Amino acid sequence: MTVTTGVAASRRIIRRGAAFRDAGPPVALVVIFLIFAALSPQFRSIANVQNIVDAAAVLAVVTCGITFVLMMGSIDLSSAGVMGASALTVSLLVANNRNDNDFGLAGIAAAIVLGCAFGFLSGLALVLLKVPSFMATLGVSAIGLGVATLMFAGVQPNISDAMLKSWAIDRFLGLSYLTWIAAACILAGWLIQRYTRLGRYAFAIGGAEEVLTLSGVRVKPYKVAVFTVAGAFYGLAGVMVTSQLGAGLVQAGNGYDFSAITAAVVGGTLLTGGRGGILHSTVGVLLVMVLTNGLVQIGVSPYWQGGVEGLIVVAAVAAAVIPQRRRNQVVK
Amino acid sequence: MSVPAEREPATSAPVPALEVRGLVKHYPGVKALDGVDLVVRQHEVLGLAGENGAGKSTLLKALVGLVTPDAGEIYVRGGAVKLRSVVEAANHGIGMVFQEQSLVPNLTAAENILLGSEGAAVRRGVYRWDVMRRLAQEQLDKIGSKIDPLARTDTLSFADRQMVEIAKVLRIEQRSQHPPVIILDEPTSVLESKEIDTLFAQIRRLREFASVVFVSHRLDEVLDVCDRVTVLRGGQSVGEVATAGAVPRELHRMMIGSTGSDDHYHENAAEPVEAEQPRLSVRGLSGKSFRDIDLDVAAGEIVAIVGVHGSGREDVCRALFGIEPTSAGEIRMDGKKISLPNTRAACAAGIGYVPAERKIEGMVGPMSVAENMTLTKQKARCAGPFVVPKKQAGLVDRWIERLSIRTPTRDTAIQRLSGGNQQKVVLARWLIGGDIRLLLLDHPTRGLDIGARSEVYRLMRELAASGVATVLLADSLEEAIGMADRILVMNDGRVATEVGCPSGGKPSPLDLVKEMV
Amino acid sequence: MRIAIRPAAVLMTLSLAAAALAGCSEEAAGDKDPAGAGACKPADVKLVGQVRNESNPYEASWLAGGDAFAKSVGLTQQRLTYGGDSTKQQEQISQLLAGDTKCLVMNVLPNGDSDTAPIVKGADKAGAFLVTQWNKPADLKPADYKTWISHITYNGVESGKQIGDALAKSIGGSGGIIALQGVLDTAAAKDRFAGLQASLKENAGVQLLDQQTANFSRAEALTVTKTLLTKHGDKVKGIWAANDDMALGALEALQQAGKSGKVAVVGIDAVPDAVTAVQNGTMTATVSSDGTWQGGIGLAIGFCAATGKLQVKDIAADNRAFYAEQFLITKDNAAQFAQPKTDPADFDCANVFKRVAGPLK
Repeated sequence: MTVTTGVAASRRIIRRGAAFRDAGPPVALVVIFLIFAALSPQFRSIANVQNIVDAAAVLAVVTCGITFVLMMGSIDLSSAGVMGASALTVSLLVANNRNDNDFGLAGIAAAIVLGCAFGFLSGLALVLLKVPSFMATLGVSAIGLGVATLMFAGVQPNISDAMLKSWAIDRFLGLSYLTWIAAACILAGWLIQRYTRLGRYAFAIGGAEEVLTLSGVRVKPYKVAVFTVAGAFYGLAGVMVTSQLGAGLVQAGNGYDFSAITAAVVGGTLLTGGRGGILHSTVGVLLVMVLTNGLVQIGVSPYWQGGVEGLIVVAAVAAAVIPQRRRNQVVK
Repeated sequence: MSVPAEREPATSAPVPALEVRGLVKHYPGVKALDGVDLVVRQHEVLGLAGENGAGKSTLLKALVGLVTPDAGEIYVRGGAVKLRSVVEAANHGIGMVFQEQSLVPNLTAAENILLGSEGAAVRRGVYRWDVMRRLAQEQLDKIGSKIDPLARTDTLSFADRQMVEIAKVLRIEQRSQHPPVIILDEPTSVLESKEIDTLFAQIRRLREFASVVFVSHRLDEVLDVCDRVTVLRGGQSVGEVATAGAVPRELHRMMIGSTGSDDHYHENAAEPVEAEQPRLSVRGLSGKSFRDIDLDVAAGEIVAIVGVHGSGREDVCRALFGIEPTSAGEIRMDGKKISLPNTRAACAAGIGYVPAERKIEGMVGPMSVAENMTLTKQKARCAGPFVVPKKQAGLVDRWIERLSIRTPTRDTAIQRLSGGNQQKVVLARWLIGGDIRLLLLDHPTRGLDIGARSEVYRLMRELAASGVATVLLADSLEEAIGMADRILVMNDGRVATEVGCPSGGKPSPLDLVKEMV
Repeated sequence: MRIAIRPAAVLMTLSLAAAALAGCSEEAAGDKDPAGAGACKPADVKLVGQVRNESNPYEASWLAGGDAFAKSVGLTQQRLTYGGDSTKQQEQISQLLAGDTKCLVMNVLPNGDSDTAPIVKGADKAGAFLVTQWNKPADLKPADYKTWISHITYNGVESGKQIGDALAKSIGGSGGIIALQGVLDTAAAKDRFAGLQASLKENAGVQLLDQQTANFSRAEALTVTKTLLTKHGDKVKGIWAANDDMALGALEALQQAGKSGKVAVVGIDAVPDAVTAVQNGTMTATVSSDGTWQGGIGLAIGFCAATGKLQVKDIAADNRAFYAEQFLITKDNAAQFAQPKTDPADFDCANVFKRVAGPLK
């Protein structure tokens, strides 16, 4: 952001806003949690809290990836396709009912590398072909689904790999291994965001890309790298879904693209870039999961749930964004 | 003490830190630089003065590699160099503090200071915050700033951010063995006077180990802080002045030149109409950044509002059009109160607004000239809900001719026109309805070349003569003085004083500046 | 409508198909009067099967059935997939109809009810033989057209009830169950749930604890089931799912909750994994519409009509739009459904209407 007009005014607002700008989503999370807890004894049971956290695992990993892209001010819709391709890849490489492969961890690594490759492709399309990230990633998503469909070839691969299956079933300290993997991703994401040039520059690109250029930083490689890292997260998320469902589905990533963007935005990561981060997004993921779970627990009719959920999400985002409104920032 | 525009013979002094010879830069339709010469000696503060459009900013951009000159040479410590990027300029020890601050708001001060030259603070892509903090602190210590290096930049005051920028620019010392050349582009335009003092102290410190090029609109500042001043006019260096004992008027004369400006620029064409009641009458208007504004504008009168950045004048102007919310006060048009804040009501009352951010607020870039012109006056081109092409075409062509807008056709996308012609289309939008009574012009000549500017001036005069009242936020004091019948000086959100500005009795810029700061 | 919203998968094959079409001979489609049927030599018949995508087992088996039939008459089936995109489906159809349509036979799964009319009208005008399945608006009737031979669908209420009954039986006639609904605004979801409600009426001991939508999706079913399991705990004895994908998701949820084998699960569609699950006892029942048969029968009916072995005007009114027979798969008969295969006898022109379970009302 270059500060030109209304400097004095925006300066004041930023200062005032800084205090509770970041507090909105966590407060909303606590408030919504308490409301559901008061309404439903099942909701506040330990088992259900475990359930919520477990259910959040995959979305959390996807959101980790998408957060970096959003921080940069771009958008990424490729997760659905990348996850599908990764799910099929991993299910065909670990022990399964379609072929004799049994590569175990190497298969999982391959799926993640494939995710990286798709992210790299998105990044290249963005910086070399100057395709807007919205279209570039939508295209990559379609390519991912296409690749997944080819690998699917009419027969669903069911996995029999004991380790991968156990990720969804076995527990450590009451939470499934997948949840711990998600926690590790969040930690890794936070470290990248805080301690690496990649993370800080992603943040800076969202804040004021032209300043980086004026400072002699070559921005493009970082953009490609950010999409690549995001792709790795999607690849891992595809593996996790496969572990959960016990099978490689083309539709493994169905709906995760928009859920992840929603979660990130609810958590306070702005689509305009430069604000928010991994921890914000994590709060957003929990908020979304608490909401879906809570509405079922308190027995809201399924016919009403979609609408109610949408309403609460919009309200939460509005509450989180109001302190950040500034005069010169047009929200379209 | 002015001396002719000749290059200093390089005998007595050591090699200049930076020298420019015969720099030329053309833009379509404009010769921004027309053989500029410039010498920056070691350990001196050189002022650069010139009116808008004199070529200052193009010259500065050429010095930091953002603009490639068409001809001419740049020498650093006697050696010819080609500067193709900011990095190359930095490698030669040239750095600039940009007028529009170039900091990333959501990073810490330390990161901004080290941005692009992190050195030991980043190892294999991983940040070492303690090293970063230390390196940034070293930079801040150089200029004696007490800012916390780990504070987020957007939580700092404007003056502090400027310190961060200077600290950042000084990182170029790491890249070059020689004392750096630091360019400060309009650093004072948004500072308060106390902050300006600090900045000047800073500049004097910088001189100990660097050369400084200082650019400012305010001639008193230039004389205050600089050792020497080079004056630019029309893309050429027209003189050098040693500041000791010099007075602003002398500099000003050189900036304007002996030819003087266009006639209409300094002559009011018609006397404002004396009426029972003013066309626009504002009483006690208060808002976020302004308080108790009283303002009357008669039909046919041009009233300029001047003030430094942050004085609140932009907000007052926007409040009159109902964009900026107000907390108290009333606005009357021809005695009739209009509701606030409401853009529709303002339009209905015959108020038109030409925004400063033409490209953002003033026009829809990809739409045609015709569409842009008829944007607010749909009625004029429509029958019911439908656009009547013939009606629109006739109307638009008439105004294209009347304002001599140079456009290939009325269907050309407005973004393809030059700035001056774009501005005329924006103006025409308010004129085609024929019911305009008050025009609010927010920097109407910003970014226009001299020819286009004088056309806009001519247009303003014509409108005033036809009885339209005008509130003008001018681009420069000279413009305000030239165009206005009356000038309101705003300072810190209030009207500090009102100065009559009739033909033949114009105040001087300095009279106004006194009240502004 | 069967499975409502499928993701828009990319159709790698599409461009090839389109290219092949473009290269087709431009022979004037002169004789458009199907009354002159019988003019087609079997070798001249062009068989086209069109479904949403090949990325789900059911529609993949449909295309496999079509291939099997085509092979049995010495032809090949042109496989078309439109990725659940209505526009794309219409484009593919109009491209087909722009070519030689004299001996064209199409077995089509319309994307939604509203997509059927333009397909039918186009085919009728071009004189191409058409069989549609699953989706059509109630007021659009094959009997009103010359070459729209049949519309085949399944009674969702019936299948919903069949598995409801099987579930009730499996939990011993009493206990709590939860229901996973499909996409709520689809006919399939509504009918199947209505079937469950009918079953509940007859099995008074079974109590519906909760019903939620999981949108026909395996992943959503996993999450929803886990949530419902924490909500109702051990009261849940059975899970009724409106399709097998959701049933399989529920099975995963049970496994993750350590309740594998303790809760009965039923679904509909008989996707291969579900049949396997029924076979090894982790799942109680599913219902098969026999996708391979569906893929073959549409082409078979069309082939018979095109070659003149079946006169469209002679087909009984009840056979022009009918519910086809469906099969409840339980552990007892799962083995015979485990390997989807077609019986050439089913596609004999004399037998093509053998599986009519009743006229479509």
